[in-house]
Amino acid sequence: MSTSMARRNQYQDRVELLQGTLDMLILQTLRSEPQHGYGIMQALRVNSGEVLQVETGSLYPALHRLERQRWVRSEWKYTESKQRAKYYRITAVGKKQLASDLSRWQRIVEAIGAVIGREPRESVA
Amino acid sequence: MSLLSRLFANRRHELEEEVQSHLPMAIQDRMDRGESAEQAETAAICELGNVALVKDITRETWGWVRLERVAQDLKYALRQLRTSPGFAITVIGTLALGLGATGAMFTVVDRVLLRSLPYENARQIVEVKEAGRRGVRDRTPFLDLQQWRERSHTLSDIAFYSANNHVSFLEGNTGATQVVAPRVSANLFALLGTHPAIGRGFEGRPQSGSVRPQDAQTMILSDTVWRTVYGSDANILGKAIKLNGESYTVVGVMPRGFTFPFGGANPVVWTPIVLAEADAARTPTYAAIARLKSDVTLESAEAELKGIQAEVSKAYTDPYVREEVTSIHLQRYGDSLVGRDVSKALLALFGAAVVLWLIACVNVTSLLLARSTARQREIAVRGALGASRGQIVLQLLIEGLVLSGIASLLGLGLAVLTVRLFDHALTTQFNIHATLTPNASVILILLGLTLVSALLASIWPAIDAARASIEPALRQGSAQGGTGRAQHRTRALLVVSEIAMSLTLLVGCGLLLRTIYVLRHVPLGFRTDHVVVANMTIPSFRFVGRDIRTELYQPLLERVQHLPGVQSASLMTEVPLGKTFQMVFTFAVEGNTAADIRQRDLSAQFRAVGPEMQHVFGFRMADGRFFNEQDTAGSQPVVVVNRAFVKGFLGDDQDPKKILGASLIGYGKDRRAVVVGVLDDERQVSIAGQSQPEIEICIPQITPDTGFYKSAEGLAMDLAVRTERSPSSVVPELRRLMQDASPELATSNFTTMDQVVEDSYGSQQLAARLLEMFGGCALLLCVAGIYGLLAYLVTQRTRELGLRIALGAQRSDVMWLVLRQATWMLLVGSGIGLVLSYLTSVLLRTFLYGVKPNDPWTMGAVSLLLIGGGIAAAYLPARRAAGVDPMQALRTE
Repeated sequence: MSTSMARRNQYQDRVELLQGTLDMLILQTLRSEPQHGYGIMQALRVNSGEVLQVETGSLYPALHRLERQRWVRSEWKYTESKQRAKYYRITAVGKKQLASDLSRWQRIVEAIGAVIGREPRESVA
Repeated sequence: MSLLSRLFANRRHELEEEVQSHLPMAIQDRMDRGESAEQAETAAICELGNVALVKDITRETWGWVRLERVAQDLKYALRQLRTSPGFAITVIGTLALGLGATGAMFTVVDRVLLRSLPYENARQIVEVKEAGRRGVRDRTPFLDLQQWRERSHTLSDIAFYSANNHVSFLEGNTGATQVVAPRVSANLFALLGTHPAIGRGFEGRPQSGSVRPQDAQTMILSDTVWRTVYGSDANILGKAIKLNGESYTVVGVMPRGFTFPFGGANPVVWTPIVLAEADAARTPTYAAIARLKSDVTLESAEAELKGIQAEVSKAYTDPYVREEVTSIHLQRYGDSLVGRDVSKALLALFGAAVVLWLIACVNVTSLLLARSTARQREIAVRGALGASRGQIVLQLLIEGLVLSGIASLLGLGLAVLTVRLFDHALTTQFNIHATLTPNASVILILLGLTLVSALLASIWPAIDAARASIEPALRQGSAQGGTGRAQHRTRALLVVSEIAMSLTLLVGCGLLLRTIYVLRHVPLGFRTDHVVVANMTIPSFRFVGRDIRTELYQPLLERVQHLPGVQSASLMTEVPLGKTFQMVFTFAVEGNTAADIRQRDLSAQFRAVGPEMQHVFGFRMADGRFFNEQDTAGSQPVVVVNRAFVKGFLGDDQDPKKILGASLIGYGKDRRAVVVGVLDDERQVSIAGQSQPEIEICIPQITPDTGFYKSAEGLAMDLAVRTERSPSSVVPELRRLMQDASPELATSNFTTMDQVVEDSYGSQQLAARLLEMFGGCALLLCVAGIYGLLAYLVTQRTRELGLRIALGAQRSDVMWLVLRQATWMLLVGSGIGLVLSYLTSVLLRTFLYGVKPNDPWTMGAVSLLLIGGGIAAAYLPARRAAGVDPMQALRTE
């Protein structure tokens, strides 16, 4: 465990950087339907136009954290291709959290946009 | 543990599956997009990243990783201890000794000093006593305490009671039960903040607090008596019960757990105090307790009462008595239960135990420090592999906790054992009748101590180890590398402080051993060997209206005297040094001349003795004769006094003959007893105290028509038997004879005269025993500490020593090199220790007899012992140092 310490710190930095946003994105993705980890990753990739590439090292800790917060619930199900996978479903509390996250995000984007005077989309890219 | 680890395993398994399920989906996706199976797999694995790491980080979000890691550290710590059992045993043993001693002492301190009284706001309850020229008087006449009641504004109420110091008998359904039957005023229960759980209290008179005459023959039972004697009889109220042959009606039962006076082994019933004409003449006296009004301090109440008492004492017409009651002594009831010297003694012993605990901690710290040095390399490697300082400190801390956890379990066992070992002494000294077992608070405190000792012992080496820079330890690569001078000095300082503290304990121990030695050589004035003593509980209620001498004592004595192996046997109200019963004789003189005052000041021990007692104890006579068989009920009454009495009576004891023939006591109409003999000085009251005045009367001459027949014969009696047989074989036979004489006598206490003497050494004996133990442990730890440090230093310096020898140093030089270090530490430690013990042995003053607190002989002898032990401990490592083979030592390089 200790051999990997140095590199782990890098990961933790990145997780921190994305934390709030990633949680929000995951919740947003789960709002339409329950999804497994791989599915969420793909959805984020596709929906962001191949821009956002979430790594497993960020995704799984985030999912488990969300579950601990009781914002999502998980269950084992079979995929269409008959493979066992762990599906995550957003809870009522999670939806409330998502709403507040989104409105906060909106405010931040507007604030930053006002300061920089540009379109928010470009700042993300 | 297994459940926890299974839970861990389950979740870990699930996570593994979850992350792994990722892979086939990704491969499938890529293949669907047209990549070859091989390509897809490589790319997917690449994308997935480091699976182990992902799992690691994810697990951390669970939050129990910390717990899991602690479990791991725990496992690791246990493995570490298994690999070096010698170290583990030393540390655990050392800590267990320290904790055991403190635990045992704390159990006692907790029971004796910190016990809480079962009364409402017990701190407000105080004992009020009159005091004057001759000290504090235990009991007060009603008229005086009534004055306090009427005038005081600091006391909310005053109650009074009269506790008998002898056993009473309650006749129940199944025979007689021994009880204590204090007489109490009507307001006593209310003053203590309680009232009967069943029935009512005594009907009182509000002005005086005493009980109305119509309630004179009523009784209130304690819960214990109600349960054990009357089987919780629901219809107990109104029943007639016989106490010492007199009939009482039960009017109430007190709640469970209530008792008064506090302490004592026997169950309690209460009878009422009804005032009589004698109370107007100040004849009966009572113990007074009061409750302070809230916000009133002890001092202000005492000041007020002293003012009132100045007025009260003016009512005494006799100037002699007036001077005895001029002042007031006020004390909290709780404090009055434990003598000042006892509480001081306990605190001193507790201090000694704490010192032992400190020594143990210092020793363990020193050991752990040495070990962390030896483990520097291991710690450096762990650090190099990425363990953070916090993790290393945590790891060492857990090791410390494991060690002290095991030690505290052992220590708890030791504490229980120690308390058991001293059970007898504790009962006789502190009047504790319940079995002493460490209670919850003691266990909690022990655990707290353990934690503190673990922290003390581990944190220091742990921080030290974590602070050490990794590189030098790794680079040097040899077991001998990397110890700073600062660390040697730290360890030397630890050993020096250990020596100083041990010396302090040993000096205390030495002083007490000398005290005991001196006490054992005090000439007692009577023989104590081969005497079995029975402290009888006299069922005098069975002999009301009959002569207890001819119907109980004489037949019993004759039978005992005819037992095989019994040389002589006799009766005495209390054997010498017995602490079970006391009667005091004073002269009823009225005048105020110098001779009158001397005689009025004389208060003598009053004992009724059988004539055969001379054969049992071999009392030495200074003059005249002891009682003999010719002294009977029909002959001239005679008494025997001792030299101290003569001195008190005549003013000097140079010629004891002068008192012979004097008539001191009236036995009834025309029967006055004359002095026929003077006993030589003897220690009948206490061994350490000077001989007390004493007057003895002859049992066969005390007929039922004698004035003091009841108190001399009906309250207490000891049977003393001189026999060559062992007590264990005689006691059952004696018990059987006594049971045949009267069933109540079967519960009499048996002991030997040697034991009575032993018990009367009292707190000294107990303190000496405990300090012997503490001092012995301290010496052991000290020697172990010196040995440990030097042995370690020699190992560290093997290379240097080898070099010295190779360069021509003599073996004796090398040996001296090591011994010098030991001598230095011992001298400095002893020096500090002597100063410490000079300062602290004053605390022991109350224990000491025949030796001064700063006795130079004791200090010298103890220092020599410690230094001798230390040098002996240093000798082994020194010889090993001298035996270093230079070739071998240099080759290890």
